[in-house]
Amino acid sequence: MVSYILRRILSTIPVMAIVALFVFSLLYIAPGDPAVVIAGDQASPADVERIRQSLGLDRPFLVQFGTWVWNILHGDLGTSIFTSLSVSSMIAQRIEPTLSLMMITLILTILIAVPLGVVAAWKAGSWVDRAIMTFAVFGFSLPVFVVGYVLAYVFALEFQWLPVQGYTPLSEGVWPWLQNLILPSIALGCVYVALIARITRASMLEVLQQDYVRTARAKGLGQRGILFVHALKNAAVPIVTVIGIGIALLIGGAVVTESVFAIPGLGRLTIDAILRRDYPVIQGIVLLFSFLYVLVNLLVDVVYTLVDPRIRY
Amino acid sequence: MSISTTRTIPVPPGLVIAPPLPDLMLPVKVRRGIIGFLRNHPTVAIGGALLLCLVLIGIFAPYLGTVDPTAIAPAKRTRPPSALYWFGTDQLGRDIYSRVLYGTRVSLTVGLSVAFFATLAGLAIGLVSGFLRWADGIVMRFMDGLMSIPPILLAIALMALTRGSVGNVILAITVAEIPRVSRLVRSVVLSLREQPYVDAAVASGTRAPMIILRHILPNTLAPMLVQATYICASAMIVESILSFIGAGTPPTIPSWGNIMAEGRALWQVKPYIVFFPAAFLSVTVLAVNLLGDGLRDALDPRMAKSL
Repeated sequence: MVSYILRRILSTIPVMAIVALFVFSLLYIAPGDPAVVIAGDQASPADVERIRQSLGLDRPFLVQFGTWVWNILHGDLGTSIFTSLSVSSMIAQRIEPTLSLMMITLILTILIAVPLGVVAAWKAGSWVDRAIMTFAVFGFSLPVFVVGYVLAYVFALEFQWLPVQGYTPLSEGVWPWLQNLILPSIALGCVYVALIARITRASMLEVLQQDYVRTARAKGLGQRGILFVHALKNAAVPIVTVIGIGIALLIGGAVVTESVFAIPGLGRLTIDAILRRDYPVIQGIVLLFSFLYVLVNLLVDVVYTLVDPRIRY
Repeated sequence: MSISTTRTIPVPPGLVIAPPLPDLMLPVKVRRGIIGFLRNHPTVAIGGALLLCLVLIGIFAPYLGTVDPTAIAPAKRTRPPSALYWFGTDQLGRDIYSRVLYGTRVSLTVGLSVAFFATLAGLAIGLVSGFLRWADGIVMRFMDGLMSIPPILLAIALMALTRGSVGNVILAITVAEIPRVSRLVRSVVLSLREQPYVDAAVASGTRAPMIILRHILPNTLAPMLVQATYICASAMIVESILSFIGAGTPPTIPSWGNIMAEGRALWQVKPYIVFFPAAFLSVTVLAVNLLGDGLRDALDPRMAKSL
């Protein structure tokens, strides 16, 4: 098992290398001259040349890639074209709100989605099941900003239960911090809840047909014990996998959610970077989030080899 | 319909007859033809009908009482919805009803194009890597790498390096969707190549390209069709997100994301600017998802039971 975990950790290295290579190569394979595009329409040839140099486009690809990777390994993600600040420090300033939003959403989603999926599988075919699955289709179809605006309009503007927009750091107290994150988390979590509820239901349906569930029922165990102890435990692997994969949805959605709720996080940094065509910043954010995604999925894999005795490599 | 018949057996006195067993196999009413298919799968009918309406709205946008969606009229800005301006006007006095109707064209074009190109590219990559073992390792490692970049961020990075245009948006979203499609195709191909009829084809000396075209490709089409609808739905959402955050279609083109982006500053006081494009987007995506779910149930009954 230890050797499997080690191999699994090592296998993330080529994946990260490909991510880095791809994100870097975009500068070279994008149609047109990126220096001209980034400089904008009003730029003078000198501006274009300056940007070409700061992006390293004037140097050979491999040399530039080597330097870039070397710097990243030392924690240096490059320098913003627009602010001349280091990308790492710009990201460090903005990371707290984004991580808070993602954490709250993750917790909220799992607490809502897994029970929904279990109940839907238990009552498969009934109106409860249909209602939950209809909700799932809507969850998939409603874009995150649509849900965000509706929630903000109803609960913040009309009822005034929660703040409309903004963010309060955790250091200023848990409640003010949480208050600002409730609506964004629900908006962001909608798709995720739909996804996890669907997989939970599918996985549970399969497990509920197993002999040991029938045995548990035959020896007189209560419904709740069967569902949550016997069945859910055995249905957990696909659910946990999808929670890991779904992080990608969460990351993409966070960019938009932050824009709707005016949260000063990495999403806002991304949007500002796009408007200024500040490619090093975008590059840094994409790398960071991809790394986070790979890390979470690595963790998921390692956790189930530790928890599930059926998985042996 | 019941299996039990009405024959009467003389019952000896004192014997209790067990009640007839319930029918385990309920008859499935098979309806034929297109109408029959749609009646068997109402979600396909509902989703398809909604989508058809939207396609018609997109095509006939100029004839549906719209004005020029880019015409600016500063004197008539931010009018609430009324008999004259059905969905109101925006900050520049442009008619939101016209803009939203023309926006249908952008969303559907992007959604359908991405679904088409991503499926095509994914099919090609998935077929090759699923069938040629030596290519599999390299291609799939590369796809693993691409898949660990969240699709929206990948599209954002691509858009940051190109000029905003509908074509570039389609390209960016397609690139972001390809890894998922090729993974799916590959997994289908891997299970298909173990089928006896593929062995038979190999044994009788059929060349690999012919096996792929004749025996493998046709069997991947049903799952691909279902997948294409989901890609279409997700592409429309990603397009609107890109436009909403300023990395999508250029602001001169009325797309739903752009209309919402322009209404963002005023959403607390003039929520209708954001509301109408948002509603159209949601209904369109819902229609495509319903169509996809329905097709999945119809084409893959095994999946339908579980999901």
